[in-house]
Amino acid sequence: MNLKTYINLYELVKTHKGTREENRALGLEYEKIKNEPVKQLEVWTKKHTPTLGKPLLSDTFSTYLYGMTLTLVIIAFFLGFFSGVGLLSYSGHEPVNVIYYMAMVVLLPLATMTLTLFSMFRANASQSLLVHISPAFWMEKMLRFLPQKAQSSLQELKINPLLSNWLIIKRSQLLALMFSLGLLVALLGMVITKDIAFAWSTTLQVSPNEFHSLLHTLAFAWRDIFPWAVPSVELIEQSQYFRLGEKLDTQMIQNASKLGEWWKFLAFATLFYAILLRFGMWILSMFGFKKALKRSLLSLEGASILLREMNEPIITTSATVEKKNVVPQGSHTMQEVEDLDGSYDRTLGWAMSSDELRVLNDSMQVITPMAFDVGGANSLDEDSEIISKCQGEVLFYVKSWEPPTMDFIDFLEDLTRVADKVILAPVGTVEDAYLPKIKELEMWGRKLQQISSDKVWLKRSSVKTLSRESLNAES
Amino acid sequence: MPSRRYMHPKFAVVGHPNKGKSSIVSTLAFDDAVQISDTPGSTTKKQSFPLTVDGKILYELFDTPGFQRARRVLAWLEKHDVPADKKHEVVQAFINEHKEDERFQDEIELLEPIMAGAGIIYVVDGSKPYGEEYEAEMEILRWTGQPSMALINLIGDTNYVEEWKRALGHYFKMVRVFNPMEADFIQHLNLLESMAQLNEEWIVPVKASIILFKQYHEQMFEQSASSITQLVHHSLSHIEQLSLTHEDATAEEREEIQEKYQMQLRTYELESQKKIEKIWNHDHLQKVQESLLFEGMDLFSKESASIFGLTRKELLITGATGGAVTGAGIDLLFGGSTLLLGSAIGALVGGSGVFFGFNELSDIKVLGQNLGKKYLEIGPMKNLNFPYILLNRALYHASEVASRSHALRSVAKFEMGKSFTERWMDESTRKSLEKFHSKFRSGDEVKEEERKEYESLILTALKNIID
Repeated sequence: MNLKTYINLYELVKTHKGTREENRALGLEYEKIKNEPVKQLEVWTKKHTPTLGKPLLSDTFSTYLYGMTLTLVIIAFFLGFFSGVGLLSYSGHEPVNVIYYMAMVVLLPLATMTLTLFSMFRANASQSLLVHISPAFWMEKMLRFLPQKAQSSLQELKINPLLSNWLIIKRSQLLALMFSLGLLVALLGMVITKDIAFAWSTTLQVSPNEFHSLLHTLAFAWRDIFPWAVPSVELIEQSQYFRLGEKLDTQMIQNASKLGEWWKFLAFATLFYAILLRFGMWILSMFGFKKALKRSLLSLEGASILLREMNEPIITTSATVEKKNVVPQGSHTMQEVEDLDGSYDRTLGWAMSSDELRVLNDSMQVITPMAFDVGGANSLDEDSEIISKCQGEVLFYVKSWEPPTMDFIDFLEDLTRVADKVILAPVGTVEDAYLPKIKELEMWGRKLQQISSDKVWLKRSSVKTLSRESLNAES
Repeated sequence: MPSRRYMHPKFAVVGHPNKGKSSIVSTLAFDDAVQISDTPGSTTKKQSFPLTVDGKILYELFDTPGFQRARRVLAWLEKHDVPADKKHEVVQAFINEHKEDERFQDEIELLEPIMAGAGIIYVVDGSKPYGEEYEAEMEILRWTGQPSMALINLIGDTNYVEEWKRALGHYFKMVRVFNPMEADFIQHLNLLESMAQLNEEWIVPVKASIILFKQYHEQMFEQSASSITQLVHHSLSHIEQLSLTHEDATAEEREEIQEKYQMQLRTYELESQKKIEKIWNHDHLQKVQESLLFEGMDLFSKESASIFGLTRKELLITGATGGAVTGAGIDLLFGGSTLLLGSAIGALVGGSGVFFGFNELSDIKVLGQNLGKKYLEIGPMKNLNFPYILLNRALYHASEVASRSHALRSVAKFEMGKSFTERWMDESTRKSLEKFHSKFRSGDEVKEEERKEYESLILTALKNIID
């Protein structure tokens, strides 16, 4: 897992998320890593990266980052080298004050490493001052030197602040390391090529013994293994100098050959404080970066959905094929009657008992010589026989709430062959005082429009009429 | 003896036309795509609704056309005088013989899955009286010899359930009442349990399906919480930029960026709503209306602030908690009293309630010399009330969608009062939420575990509302 994976995933979740089925299939294929989300994301990214357009944003970014880092690494090295050369320049008039150099290789690294540790703790914040003061942060500003196309694509890339902070921290450690290497090379180079008289000088009231004790403490890491790399009290005494009088002490001149011994301490101090510890910080920052990368991968927009799709079974309950129901449309114009006549040649009741039919006739104040219950529990033969007995005008009651089935339509068609006129009267339930609902009447109307018969009429009674009929029935 | 091939349980939902078969299937399948019509004969083909897990079918539901010529079919069957153990063969013979006969297409469509082993779920309307015409249908189903149960669907207000139970008891060993429009998830699962009892072999797979359904339901909740979390995070952290044409921003440019900013937040809300409707399989609702709810009530309107926002007291406490009273102070425009908060929207609009203005959502800043250009920037959201308005709207929408029956085809109505907030948010929840809102506003990295913690708060809130 590296930064490229992150950027590829960043791009993929925006452009190509894969289908739910594809993601689940991949999840099942790699079921062994079900509990390792980062690995799962890596596998997914690897599979889908070919769908991204070339050049990959990750490649552009990596190339840019590599180029910038390399440039800055070289600059840092030479900066360190020339700083070292500057600090160790010996004119022959005045010895080289080791305190300057020590400040550069001990104090400065310790101070910046402390700041780095703080910035590592504060890496979560998007606006971290400690991160912003790092030279690596200003690498971003070098973006303006890139071609326009690369600039625009990189500007669209919004890296997680945590990750970008760690990226800066990591790069800063590398630059500082190179700077320190430059210093060391400068020290060794100067020691080899020049005869340098090292000395120490300070305005503070520090005795040689106290200074020795400080150096002894600073050399804790190597003093037991390389005791010759720790200046002795004698050397310290001999190499202390004061600028007053602009003349070197005669004792110093007599011990000139010994003054060069300081380089061993300086080299070890550089090696330990500026290089080894910095190297340790660099390793630490790499771990931090890896961890941040993992966290950033997981908190990437869309990553959690992706993981869910890979790990959760696909449960579907819907129809595999969406079906469009066709509502049959009739073309026949429905004939309607508002009121019932007082008498009919026949009255029929569809799926009603003869008692119900009698009550209905009574309540509608309809007189008829013959009333038959049809449909319902009747056999088809019984219905045919009733049809044969029908003639003239027929009042046909139907339950308004029951939709007309084709069984009913068949009967109606047979009936129209023998009858002169069929008045279809949908009636509601007893609780509704036989009043059909408007919706039900409309349903009957729509169905009857499909029958092209001039003999069929629908009693589309107004509520008022039906109410009157019902009231009559009750009275 | 060769072993019998495993066949997943199948259930055919059959009955008289227009008795709510499709509504029941719609509810059982969590699918609002099922065509429901009040015109008889609109379902002409059977439709399968399998419950699949990673492509494997656990059980299958069939929506079927209603019986059209039941008496004729029964007459044909009864012509064959056969013992009980051969009756199903006669039904099969009927199907074979009438496959091309248009008159019996509906009956064949509904009988085919039954003859292929499906259990029968016979649906009747319990709000209408029983009639003898149903007997032919029930008799045909008895001829098939398949395990069966009756489902009394209460479509209307009147109740003839007892009458129906007496009649159905003669034909079916199990009779249940189920209202697809009002059934909750538990009733749904109970019905599945009953269906499993039809055949001993189906108990295990249907019980497994019930466990999966619970998992599915939980997934829906989790995905909704995740979507709402994303909405709040995006909305609070959103930053809008606008390049300037001149050295200084004009009033028009300031207005433009404000408008763009608000538009983007509205888009986030709409996208989140659509996502939640999809999670709960209600995506067909969008065909009815563009946005399920809040029509005419903009995210940045006075009504939204009145109904969904925090009260003055809560807001001040929130401000103090978040240590941002100063910033929030300028955002707040107090107007009117809070007396009408429990009333309907219309009244709320008039009363205005406690309105926290949106003129100052966030500072508009002229920024940077990024590559030599100046630009205006607005965001992230500073208004302390906004996340609660957004959250309340999102939770209300999600709870409505989650508890809405898939059989309903009517347009969702907006009816709510201020008391909605009390159903899910107490002092400690508000404090917990505010902690995250501050984090979202800061633009800092939101850790995976923090996101999950917020999601869990939303999940609990959503469940509290629905329960």
